[in-house]
Amino acid sequence: MEIVAENLTFTYSAQTKRLAFRALDGVSVDIKEGEFFGIIGRTGSGKTTFVQHLNGLIKVQKDSGRLLIGDYDLTAKKCDYKSLRAKVGMLFQYPEHQLFAETVFDDVAFALRNFAPKLTEKEVTVRVKEALELTGLTFDRVKDKSPFDLSGGQKRRVAIAGVIVAKPEILVLDEPAAGLDPKGKREFLELLQRLHKDFVKTIIIVSHDMNLVAEYCTGAAVFSGGKILAAKTPKEIFSDGELIKESGLDLPLTASLTEGLKKRGVTADNDFTADGFVESVCRALNIGGKTR
Amino acid sequence: MPLLEVKNVSYSYDKTTKALKGVSFNVEEGEFVAIVGHNGSGKSTLARLLNGLLKPADGEVVVDGFSSSDKNAVFEIRKRVGMVFQNPDNQLVASIVEDDIAFGPENLGVPREEIGKRIDFALKAVGMENFRKATPTRLSGGQKQRIAIAGVLALNPKILVLDESTAMLDPHGRKEIAEVVKRLRAQGVAVIAITHYMEEAAKADKVIVMDRGVIALSGTPKQVFGQKEILSSLGLELPAAGIIADKLRARGANIPNDIITEEELAEALWKL
Repeated sequence: MEIVAENLTFTYSAQTKRLAFRALDGVSVDIKEGEFFGIIGRTGSGKTTFVQHLNGLIKVQKDSGRLLIGDYDLTAKKCDYKSLRAKVGMLFQYPEHQLFAETVFDDVAFALRNFAPKLTEKEVTVRVKEALELTGLTFDRVKDKSPFDLSGGQKRRVAIAGVIVAKPEILVLDEPAAGLDPKGKREFLELLQRLHKDFVKTIIIVSHDMNLVAEYCTGAAVFSGGKILAAKTPKEIFSDGELIKESGLDLPLTASLTEGLKKRGVTADNDFTADGFVESVCRALNIGGKTR
Repeated sequence: MPLLEVKNVSYSYDKTTKALKGVSFNVEEGEFVAIVGHNGSGKSTLARLLNGLLKPADGEVVVDGFSSSDKNAVFEIRKRVGMVFQNPDNQLVASIVEDDIAFGPENLGVPREEIGKRIDFALKAVGMENFRKATPTRLSGGQKQRIAIAGVLALNPKILVLDESTAMLDPHGRKEIAEVVKRLRAQGVAVIAITHYMEEAAKADKVIVMDRGVIALSGTPKQVFGQKEILSSLGLELPAAGIIADKLRARGANIPNDIITEEELAEALWKL
């Protein structure tokens, strides 16, 4: 499913003039199926308001642009939000706070039972097992546990299992790695990459971590003041000095080092992933001899 | 005498597991100490013991000569140890910035004129003097966290404990808080930061690595991040600059093996 937003605008407290706040101001973007797409920009730039539109948590306001997700027209009078929400899974910041059931099994099964009430208990079990094992948890070991007895990283896995159990085509995550320790963070991102390869077609991720965006994203949209300043690859974004300045974004470490090298007359053209950076520096400075 | 002494402290939430086992360390005036460790290693329990929110089951926490095990000393300790948590929304109480900052000193019975002076000082320390009459809920995350810190500074603490206070902030907000920490240290306030950001820990005077309730490693950032195998077995990593330095060195680049900050990596790169 492709996501197409055209001139999308959203105003909070639109009824009260004094408090009205335009959070999205004419946002147009086209997110193709298969992307690992970053939504980046300073706090208050409209990122979260935008992604909350994607599964109808925030409804498109009247005369405020268009939003299409696959065959779903979220601007139309009639939109089947229930089936849309099974296809667009959403995980908020600190998703472990969303856990509520007595057992891991019931927590993961909750959304599935809602979206597909006709499934037999046997079918539910198969799906829950599949979802939990996809996240790297062992079904028999965790299914009867209370989700609250698990570690932080495990809780986050259970939360993501509870979303992917509905087999969404698009997975939206708001700051998925916040609050995890370094190892937990790396494992979680590897999990997302695995899911992206085999299970979920499109991943959309809101993040402040530019190193993460450079390393994992295929494309990203830069938000600022409710507008999208640009939507292109991380390489193009982080090479665009004007854009970085205007959006107030930080550079990933690799990009700021590449820029520093350039000022010193060393051109190391690379995609700003850690390995890409190392490779290009070695090539530019003739280090190691191994060129691939 | 050190400003803070943690002496052989143990603590448990229930009978079966100990959250902390025999933890000891000291903090001096103006020192910046980072406490790192994987989720569930005991970091936050340790933070809560530093200002008497929790009392040690064994051992002792002594702040400026006052032991937290002494019932009558709790107020003396709270005056000296300010604590800022992860989410500023949970820590802001008033609808106007200056009222929020006055809340602490008012509770301690600080005279009115003195409170005014303390508000001035605290807002200036966090670089928010223009927001005295603002409404906290309308500020950005970084600004709110700075107001939360100002509310603690108005108590003139000698030690500021930041328990993952930057986890919810964007890079800009994190930089703002780093600036505040720098300014406070210059005034002799000790800062103890619990963090998952290895880049923050790399800038501390001392790093303490927690694992399953004990101190697994401690020392200067260079000493601690030099123990790469141990760190990785504890679920931690080098700061991003260290990871890239290692990759470059593995390819044969002439880069020192103790790099932990962006500045150090840049300097080494320019020399190649």
